[in-house]
Amino acid sequence: MQAKHINPFIEAVYELFETMLQGKVERGPIGVTDGGARPSDVLAIIGISGPTRGTVSIGFPTPTALAVVGRILGSPVEQMDDTVSDGVAEVVNIVAGSAKAKLNAGSEQPLDLSLPTVVRGEKYNVQYPSKSVWLEVPFKSELGDFILRVTFETTPK
Amino acid sequence: MKALVVDDSAVMRKVLIGALGRADITEVDQASDGKEALDMSMANDYSLVLMDWNMPNMLGIDAVRAIRAAGKTMPIIMVTTEAEKSRVIEALKAGANNYIIKPFEPATIVSKIQEVLAKAS
Repeated sequence: MQAKHINPFIEAVYELFETMLQGKVERGPIGVTDGGARPSDVLAIIGISGPTRGTVSIGFPTPTALAVVGRILGSPVEQMDDTVSDGVAEVVNIVAGSAKAKLNAGSEQPLDLSLPTVVRGEKYNVQYPSKSVWLEVPFKSELGDFILRVTFETTPK
Repeated sequence: MKALVVDDSAVMRKVLIGALGRADITEVDQASDGKEALDMSMANDYSLVLMDWNMPNMLGIDAVRAIRAAGKTMPIIMVTTEAEKSRVIEALKAGANNYIIKPFEPATIVSKIQEVLAKAS
């Protein structure tokens, strides 16, 4: 997997902030991780299938998750609950969906998305397949920091 | 005027209900998957349906096909992350009247709802 393959996902994050979230966002440097380090308070995960398989996750500290879902709803969200989980699931769904369309452009074998999953809590570990390499992009926004991670089984064309 | 909002995300349903309210539609039913949407569409006369694509139990696109096969003619707007041109064409062929890609600006969805309702009246 090469850094350029994460670009559609980064673009999708910017589009989300320009439209539904209507706020500023700035990405940090693209890094490589085994996916296991630095679990966030809330982790939204979605699978990609088709000619290649992959996973996209967005990890949010609790204050960011509350702020993001509050912005989508147009009213403050004070506590972590099922509404917040539902909201961050929709966020990863939208980001992955936008990126999928960019990756699918001109492809005869389109990629598909699974339904999103959300993990939240103070202590948990997420076990990914060994040897999987994740590209990781930290973001800073007016709604708080968050981390985008993407991995593919094989390199998408 | 009564509308049906179909999305497996409760947050997205709230967003869409808000948009309908700004388009002066305040009577709204909700469904969280395509099967539920189909059942509710058979049992009610909706003036408008906002339909997600990817949902458990039955996809939104399959619900649209089933609703049209049953002879229901109310306007249906797909509201989905499926952004590929081929998906838009597939939805329109299935019987959707319009298509909104997530993410969207709040003003966009209100104007699209008003546009579709104006065409239908």
